[in-house]
Amino acid sequence: MSARSQHGFHPDAESLNAFAEQALEERERAEVFAHLAVCGRCRQVVALARAAADADMLKAPAPPRKTIAPNAWWRQWRLVWIPAAIVAAFGVASVSTHIWLVDRHERDFKIVAQNPTQGAAPASTPPATEQAEVVPPVSPAPAPPPAHAAKRAHPAEDKDLTAQSPGLGTTEAPSESGGIDQIEAARETPPLAQAEEQQSPPQSTMGVHGSAYSQPAAAAWEAKQKPAEEQSQAGVDTPRRRLAVAKAAPGTGSAPSANQPASQADTAAAVPSTLTATLLPATPAVSAALPSQRRGFLAIDRMHLPSGLAIVSSARSGSIVLAIDKAGTLFLSQDHGNTWERIDTQWTGRAVAVTQPFAVNGALQSAPAAQTGTAPETSANPGPAPPPPATFELFNDKNQAWVSTDGRIWTSK
Amino acid sequence: MAPSESVASAAETGFPNGIHTLDRALADELWRACDAAQWGLTRDEFDQILLEAGTAQNFGLDELAAPVEAARKQQAEFFRGLRMGDLVLARACARGNERAWEHFVAVYRQPLTRAAIAITGSETLGRDLADQLYAELYGLNEREGQRRCPLVSYRGRGSLMGWLRTTLAQRHVDHYRRTRREEPIEEHDAPAPDPPPQTPGLELSLLERAIEQAIASRNAEDRYLLAAYYLDEQTLLEIGRVLDVHEATVSRRLRRAASEIRKQILRNLERSGMSRRAAEETMGAGLDALGGDFEVNLKKLLQHSQTEAFQEQAAS
Repeated sequence: MSARSQHGFHPDAESLNAFAEQALEERERAEVFAHLAVCGRCRQVVALARAAADADMLKAPAPPRKTIAPNAWWRQWRLVWIPAAIVAAFGVASVSTHIWLVDRHERDFKIVAQNPTQGAAPASTPPATEQAEVVPPVSPAPAPPPAHAAKRAHPAEDKDLTAQSPGLGTTEAPSESGGIDQIEAARETPPLAQAEEQQSPPQSTMGVHGSAYSQPAAAAWEAKQKPAEEQSQAGVDTPRRRLAVAKAAPGTGSAPSANQPASQADTAAAVPSTLTATLLPATPAVSAALPSQRRGFLAIDRMHLPSGLAIVSSARSGSIVLAIDKAGTLFLSQDHGNTWERIDTQWTGRAVAVTQPFAVNGALQSAPAAQTGTAPETSANPGPAPPPPATFELFNDKNQAWVSTDGRIWTSK
Repeated sequence: MAPSESVASAAETGFPNGIHTLDRALADELWRACDAAQWGLTRDEFDQILLEAGTAQNFGLDELAAPVEAARKQQAEFFRGLRMGDLVLARACARGNERAWEHFVAVYRQPLTRAAIAITGSETLGRDLADQLYAELYGLNEREGQRRCPLVSYRGRGSLMGWLRTTLAQRHVDHYRRTRREEPIEEHDAPAPDPPPQTPGLELSLLERAIEQAIASRNAEDRYLLAAYYLDEQTLLEIGRVLDVHEATVSRRLRRAASEIRKQILRNLERSGMSRRAAEETMGAGLDALGGDFEVNLKKLLQHSQTEAFQEQAAS
């Protein structure tokens, strides 16, 4: 069958087009298939038409773009608005969170500053209940503030914290039975400042806090806490011992490391107010046993020195805070750590620890601010010790000590 | 003019009177849907176009059956299966309606040229082809004093643009085939024809017959696939576009068709009196004579059989 003779049998353009566009009924489609199976010409026609359609689809000019009105410049940025809004919202949320956290810390410090004594705290003052947990007894019949009072401020946190055993021989409430009433009762006790004025040694300017406790009460309290201290402090060296160990065997695990978190072994006896205890850091080993001091550790830990380095050791007395960074630089703050002043080196070697030695009429002697990562200790003096001659002690890497009463001027001990 | 009057008058214009009449409500609906008034068509002309299109295709009813009156439902189904907008435009252009023609030029002139260029693969040839068809569409050709417009043959079953492309392709292929035959033989650098297979005459004739029967036993779609792929050397993608299926589907169908044809050839050889082994040897010898794998040489098998099966189908 020649092409010419086939021409009369070829499906017309209508049928071939309808076939290619799938517009034929089944019967007609089968007929066209049968023809295409034997007719190369029509197969070629269909293939070319289809190829032209595909090419036309690709080469067809794009529809004219809509002209953007001059005053509708923002339409060009429509796609940018959404991610920009998301980023802006995230930024606002981050800043708000940061401000809230900073404000919360400042409020904590203000509470400390405004409540030198618990008894002087006004009724409207937010209850410093969590700190009450670590307040040592201030009366012959010490009644540690109930732990559950702390729940008013941080219920969840305090619940598990107060459930932990007392440590450091300090002020852990023996039970939660006291409740709010005991806190209120503690508030009614004479301000510690008055007691300090009465009982603190004259040479002590900042370490007067220990005198807030009457010696019999402190002794009785200490006697009560001593077994627990000894139990919890078993095997824990004093900082000096640790320094000696580190010196004798550098690199050992017991050696203080600058990388380890700062700690402070201020005891509650040295704290001018119960609230202050919240800001006292505890070493990790002890912090487990001293939940309320763990919060103090966090407060110290959140302080930022001008050097930008981490705090390896710190000591506090009232609003004065001394801190040594990882480089061995000593910083002094007189406003609870808000602003810092660098103290010139007046000692030899590298400062590694700063402490606030104290004595509660000789009943307690502070442990120096623990080196980071090492278990702090609050050693219990078996016998009464004389009042500390100075407020702060500083140790260098050779275990030499310097003392200072204001944190600025240091003299060799 | 009332719709009923227009339909009645249309029915009087040479159509099989009394066989088909347009439903008035349907005609009104189509009139509104096509917006044929924009071409300046009168309602009478529109009804006549509808009647022509419906009558030409028997309203979709079996053309071999006796002419019967198409019910309204049948008419509605038929017309809704058509591209009425394109159909009315084409008929309006064929009638020489200027407004319709202006619209046609505005919408289809450039696509027509692009399609012609794509079909011919040449800018010059494509524009020539498009201009030629454009002249025909405009009705420059006359027969017996009557203006002849190819758009009259458009019946609306596919898109008007598709119809134009197919018409262009038809003209191009016909022109190519005609001019190719007119080229001198010397200019062809055709490869030497394959030497005839050296298989024995009886076995070769049996093999040829088995191949023809095997191919003829396949349905039309399989034969189209085989021919398009092996003879026309179209790609799977091109075939898939024509059939509106994925090229993977085309590949699968081709493999299945080739496999079944091979089995069918063996069966046909066995049916002709050969044993299975002899049939396989015969087919293998035939393939060896053609040189190689069955699928690879299916094209040669198809060509070798001279597609007598195809010719038989075409003759039928």
